[in-house]
Amino acid sequence: MPRQTMSRRQALAALGALGAAAAGGLTPPRTASAAGLGRHETVEAALARLFGGRPMKDGTGIVTLELPAIAENGAVVPMAVEVNAPMTPARHVKHIYVIADRNRIPVVLRAVFTPEAGHAALAANIRLGETGDVRAIVEQSDGSLLAVKRAVQVTVSGCGG
Amino acid sequence: MGAIGRMRVRLPSRIAPGDLVRVRVLIIHPMERVERDAQDRIIERPYNYIDRMVVEYRGRTILTVDTTQGVSENPAFTFSVRATDPGPLTVTFTDTSGQTYAQTVHIRFS
Repeated sequence: MPRQTMSRRQALAALGALGAAAAGGLTPPRTASAAGLGRHETVEAALARLFGGRPMKDGTGIVTLELPAIAENGAVVPMAVEVNAPMTPARHVKHIYVIADRNRIPVVLRAVFTPEAGHAALAANIRLGETGDVRAIVEQSDGSLLAVKRAVQVTVSGCGG
Repeated sequence: MGAIGRMRVRLPSRIAPGDLVRVRVLIIHPMERVERDAQDRIIERPYNYIDRMVVEYRGRTILTVDTTQGVSENPAFTFSVRATDPGPLTVTFTDTSGQTYAQTVHIRFS
Protein backbone atom coordinates (compact mmCIF):
# COMPACT_ATOMS: atom_id res chain seq x y z
CA MET A 1 0.00 0.00 0.00
CA PRO A 2 1.37 3.44 -0.84
CA ARG A 3 2.00 5.47 2.24
CA GLN A 4 0.21 8.77 2.67
CA THR A 5 2.76 11.48 1.92
CA MET A 6 2.58 15.13 2.87
CA SER A 7 1.80 17.54 0.08
CA ARG A 8 4.28 20.32 -0.46
CA ARG A 9 1.75 22.80 0.94
CA GLN A 10 1.29 20.79 4.12
CA ALA A 11 5.03 20.38 4.47
CA LEU A 12 5.55 24.12 4.12
CA ALA A 13 2.76 24.89 6.55
CA ALA A 14 4.40 22.55 9.04
CA LEU A 15 7.74 24.24 8.45
CA GLY A 16 6.13 27.63 8.97
CA ALA A 17 4.55 26.47 12.21
CA LEU A 18 7.91 25.13 13.36
CA GLY A 19 9.51 28.45 12.53
CA ALA A 20 6.85 30.35 14.43
CA ALA A 21 7.19 28.02 17.39
CA ALA A 22 10.94 28.41 17.39
CA ALA A 23 10.80 32.19 17.06
CA GLY A 24 10.17 32.41 20.79
CA GLY A 25 13.71 31.57 21.72
CA LEU A 26 15.45 28.93 19.68
CA THR A 27 16.26 30.80 16.49
CA PRO A 28 18.54 33.83 16.66
CA PRO A 29 16.69 37.11 16.17
CA ARG A 30 16.39 38.07 12.53
CA THR A 31 17.72 41.43 11.57
CA ALA A 32 14.95 43.59 10.26
CA SER A 33 16.82 45.09 7.34
CA ALA A 34 15.60 42.54 4.81
CA ALA A 35 11.99 42.83 5.96
CA GLY A 36 9.97 44.83 3.51
CA LEU A 37 12.68 45.07 0.86
CA GLY A 38 10.34 43.54 -1.70
CA ARG A 39 6.94 45.19 -1.76
CA HIS A 40 4.07 45.51 -4.20
CA GLU A 41 4.70 49.03 -5.40
CA THR A 42 5.56 51.06 -8.45
CA VAL A 43 9.19 51.52 -9.39
CA GLU A 44 8.83 55.23 -8.59
CA ALA A 45 7.63 54.37 -5.09
CA ALA A 46 10.49 51.90 -4.64
CA LEU A 47 13.09 54.47 -5.72
CA ALA A 48 11.57 57.11 -3.45
CA ARG A 49 11.52 54.65 -0.54
CA LEU A 50 15.13 53.50 -1.00
CA PHE A 51 16.83 56.68 -2.15
CA GLY A 52 14.46 59.49 -1.14
CA GLY A 53 15.02 61.61 -4.20
CA ARG A 54 18.81 61.81 -3.83
CA PRO A 55 20.56 62.73 -7.07
CA MET A 56 21.79 59.83 -9.22
CA LYS A 57 24.61 60.06 -11.68
CA ASP A 58 24.93 58.05 -14.85
CA GLY A 59 27.15 55.11 -13.94
CA THR A 60 28.10 54.22 -17.52
CA GLY A 61 31.79 53.35 -17.68
CA ILE A 62 31.96 52.47 -13.99
CA VAL A 63 28.98 50.16 -13.51
CA THR A 64 28.50 47.27 -15.93
CA LEU A 65 25.09 45.60 -16.02
CA GLU A 66 24.80 42.55 -18.22
CA LEU A 67 21.42 41.17 -19.23
CA PRO A 68 20.17 39.52 -22.40
CA ALA A 69 18.38 41.91 -24.78
CA ILE A 70 15.72 39.24 -25.27
CA ALA A 71 14.76 36.94 -22.40
CA GLU A 72 12.71 34.04 -23.72
CA ASN A 73 11.98 32.75 -20.24
CA GLY A 74 11.27 35.51 -17.73
CA ALA A 75 11.51 33.01 -14.87
CA VAL A 76 15.28 32.68 -15.26
CA VAL A 77 17.13 35.69 -16.63
CA PRO A 78 20.89 35.82 -16.09
CA MET A 79 21.93 39.14 -14.60
CA ALA A 80 25.48 40.26 -13.80
CA VAL A 81 26.53 43.57 -12.32
CA GLU A 82 30.06 44.76 -11.70
CA VAL A 83 31.51 48.02 -10.41
CA ASN A 84 34.97 49.11 -11.51
CA ALA A 85 35.82 51.18 -8.48
CA PRO A 86 38.37 50.74 -5.71
CA MET A 87 37.35 48.81 -2.62
CA THR A 88 39.30 50.47 0.17
CA PRO A 89 38.06 51.18 3.70
CA ALA A 90 38.08 54.90 2.84
CA ARG A 91 36.12 54.54 -0.37
CA HIS A 92 34.19 51.51 -1.52
CA VAL A 93 30.96 50.27 -2.98
CA LYS A 94 28.46 49.87 -0.15
CA HIS A 95 25.34 48.66 -1.90
CA ILE A 96 24.21 47.43 -5.28
CA TYR A 97 20.45 47.40 -5.84
CA VAL A 98 18.89 45.54 -8.75
CA ILE A 99 15.46 46.84 -9.66
CA ALA A 100 13.14 45.56 -12.39
CA ASP A 101 10.87 48.44 -13.38
CA ARG A 102 7.96 46.35 -14.63
CA ASN A 103 7.91 43.69 -11.91
CA ARG A 104 5.00 43.94 -9.50
CA ILE A 105 7.63 43.71 -6.77
CA PRO A 106 10.30 45.88 -8.40
CA VAL A 107 13.19 45.42 -5.93
CA VAL A 108 14.98 42.18 -6.84
CA LEU A 109 17.94 42.31 -4.49
CA ARG A 110 20.31 44.46 -2.50
CA ALA A 111 23.94 43.41 -2.17
CA VAL A 112 25.84 44.85 0.80
CA PHE A 113 29.61 44.84 0.29
CA THR A 114 32.53 45.35 2.64
CA PRO A 115 36.00 46.42 1.46
CA GLU A 116 37.28 42.88 2.21
CA ALA A 117 35.28 41.60 -0.77
CA GLY A 118 37.97 43.23 -2.90
CA HIS A 119 35.65 43.73 -5.84
CA ALA A 120 31.97 44.67 -6.09
CA ALA A 121 30.46 42.14 -8.47
CA LEU A 122 27.44 39.90 -8.30
CA ALA A 123 25.65 37.64 -10.75
CA ALA A 124 22.26 36.04 -10.15
CA ASN A 125 19.32 34.54 -11.99
CA ILE A 126 16.35 36.86 -11.70
CA ARG A 127 12.66 36.90 -12.64
CA LEU A 128 11.19 39.45 -15.02
CA GLY A 129 7.43 39.84 -15.27
CA GLU A 130 7.32 41.71 -18.55
CA THR A 131 9.34 43.70 -21.05
CA GLY A 132 10.96 46.74 -19.52
CA ASP A 133 14.04 48.28 -17.99
CA VAL A 134 16.21 46.69 -15.34
CA ARG A 135 18.35 49.06 -13.29
CA ALA A 136 21.43 48.64 -11.18
CA ILE A 137 21.89 51.39 -8.64
CA VAL A 138 25.21 51.59 -6.81
CA GLU A 139 25.59 53.40 -3.52
CA GLN A 140 29.18 54.25 -2.59
CA SER A 141 30.52 54.74 0.90
CA ASP A 142 30.39 58.52 0.49
CA GLY A 143 26.66 58.24 -0.22
CA SER A 144 26.85 59.01 -3.94
CA LEU A 145 24.58 57.04 -6.28
CA LEU A 146 25.38 55.70 -9.73
CA ALA A 147 22.69 54.20 -11.94
CA VAL A 148 22.65 52.22 -15.18
CA LYS A 149 19.81 50.45 -16.95
CA ARG A 150 19.21 47.88 -19.63
CA ALA A 151 16.04 47.21 -21.60
CA VAL A 152 15.03 43.55 -21.66
CA GLN A 153 12.36 42.12 -23.93
CA VAL A 154 10.56 39.32 -22.11
CA THR A 155 8.85 36.64 -24.19
CA VAL A 156 7.27 34.55 -21.41
CA SER A 157 6.57 36.23 -18.06
CA GLY A 158 8.48 34.97 -15.06
CA CYS A 159 6.32 36.47 -12.35
CA GLY A 160 3.08 35.51 -10.77
CA GLY A 161 3.44 38.37 -8.32
CA MET B 1 14.50 17.76 -8.27
CA GLY B 2 16.48 17.91 -5.09
CA ALA B 3 15.55 18.57 -1.51
CA ILE B 4 15.00 22.17 -0.44
CA GLY B 5 18.19 23.62 0.89
CA ARG B 6 20.61 21.34 -0.92
CA MET B 7 23.43 23.64 -1.95
CA ARG B 8 26.79 23.75 -3.63
CA VAL B 9 29.60 26.28 -3.28
CA ARG B 10 32.26 26.07 -5.98
CA LEU B 11 35.73 27.59 -6.06
CA PRO B 12 38.21 27.63 -8.94
CA SER B 13 40.52 24.61 -8.89
CA ARG B 14 43.66 26.73 -8.52
CA ILE B 15 43.92 29.75 -6.27
CA ALA B 16 47.06 31.87 -5.78
CA PRO B 17 47.57 34.33 -2.92
CA GLY B 18 45.94 37.67 -3.72
CA ASP B 19 43.71 36.27 -6.46
CA LEU B 20 40.26 37.66 -6.99
CA VAL B 21 38.39 34.39 -6.68
CA ARG B 22 35.05 33.83 -8.39
CA VAL B 23 32.73 31.83 -6.14
CA ARG B 24 29.64 30.15 -7.56
CA VAL B 25 26.76 29.20 -5.29
CA LEU B 26 23.66 27.20 -6.11
CA ILE B 27 20.80 26.29 -3.78
CA ILE B 28 17.67 24.23 -4.36
CA HIS B 29 14.73 26.36 -3.22
CA PRO B 30 11.22 27.03 -4.60
CA MET B 31 11.41 30.85 -4.05
CA GLU B 32 7.61 30.85 -3.90
CA ARG B 33 5.93 33.55 -5.94
CA VAL B 34 2.96 35.57 -4.74
CA GLU B 35 -0.20 33.86 -5.99
CA ARG B 36 -3.34 35.64 -7.11
CA ASP B 37 -6.96 34.57 -7.31
CA ALA B 38 -9.23 34.79 -10.38
CA GLN B 39 -9.90 38.47 -9.62
CA ASP B 40 -6.14 39.14 -9.57
CA ARG B 41 -6.20 39.73 -5.83
CA ILE B 42 -3.14 38.68 -3.87
CA ILE B 43 -3.70 35.50 -1.88
CA GLU B 44 -2.48 36.41 1.59
CA ARG B 45 -0.43 33.61 3.09
CA PRO B 46 3.18 33.20 4.13
CA TYR B 47 5.37 32.66 1.10
CA ASN B 48 8.59 30.77 1.49
CA TYR B 49 11.51 32.38 -0.27
CA ILE B 50 15.15 33.06 0.53
CA ASP B 51 15.53 36.59 1.84
CA ARG B 52 19.22 36.61 2.69
CA MET B 53 22.57 35.20 1.69
CA VAL B 54 25.60 35.89 3.91
CA VAL B 55 29.19 35.20 2.84
CA GLU B 56 31.87 34.93 5.53
CA TYR B 57 35.57 34.58 4.81
CA ARG B 58 37.90 33.75 7.68
CA GLY B 59 35.15 34.59 10.14
CA ARG B 60 34.32 38.03 8.72
CA THR B 61 31.21 38.89 6.76
CA ILE B 62 32.30 40.20 3.38
CA LEU B 63 29.01 40.18 1.49
CA THR B 64 25.32 40.10 2.36
CA VAL B 65 22.63 39.85 -0.30
CA ASP B 66 19.04 40.64 0.68
CA THR B 67 16.76 38.97 -1.81
CA THR B 68 13.07 39.13 -2.75
CA GLN B 69 10.78 36.96 -4.82
CA GLY B 70 12.36 38.62 -7.86
CA VAL B 71 15.14 36.03 -7.66
CA SER B 72 14.58 32.83 -9.65
CA GLU B 73 13.71 29.42 -8.27
CA ASN B 74 16.84 27.44 -7.34
CA PRO B 75 18.92 30.62 -7.05
CA ALA B 76 22.42 30.78 -8.49
CA PHE B 77 24.84 33.49 -7.43
CA THR B 78 28.37 34.38 -8.45
CA PHE B 79 30.53 36.83 -6.50
CA SER B 80 34.22 37.64 -5.95
CA VAL B 81 36.47 37.29 -2.94
CA ARG B 82 40.04 38.56 -2.61
CA ALA B 83 41.93 35.48 -1.40
CA THR B 84 44.43 37.09 0.95
CA ASP B 85 45.00 34.08 3.22
CA PRO B 86 43.96 30.45 3.38
CA GLY B 87 40.81 29.92 5.38
CA PRO B 88 37.16 28.93 5.44
CA LEU B 89 34.50 30.55 3.29
CA THR B 90 30.96 30.00 4.52
CA VAL B 91 27.79 30.79 2.61
CA THR B 92 24.55 30.87 4.64
CA PHE B 93 21.04 31.27 3.25
CA THR B 94 17.96 32.13 5.31
CA ASP B 95 14.40 31.76 4.07
CA THR B 96 11.13 33.24 5.26
CA SER B 97 10.11 29.96 6.90
CA GLY B 98 12.99 30.54 9.32
CA GLN B 99 15.22 27.80 7.95
CA THR B 100 18.92 28.37 7.38
CA TYR B 101 21.17 26.46 5.01
CA ALA B 102 24.96 26.73 5.12
CA GLN B 103 28.00 25.29 3.46
CA THR B 104 31.69 25.90 4.10
CA VAL B 105 34.52 25.50 1.62
CA HIS B 106 38.20 26.12 2.23
CA ILE B 107 40.40 28.52 0.31
CA ARG B 108 43.79 26.87 -0.10
CA PHE B 109 46.71 27.96 -2.21
CA SER B 110 48.16 25.56 -4.73
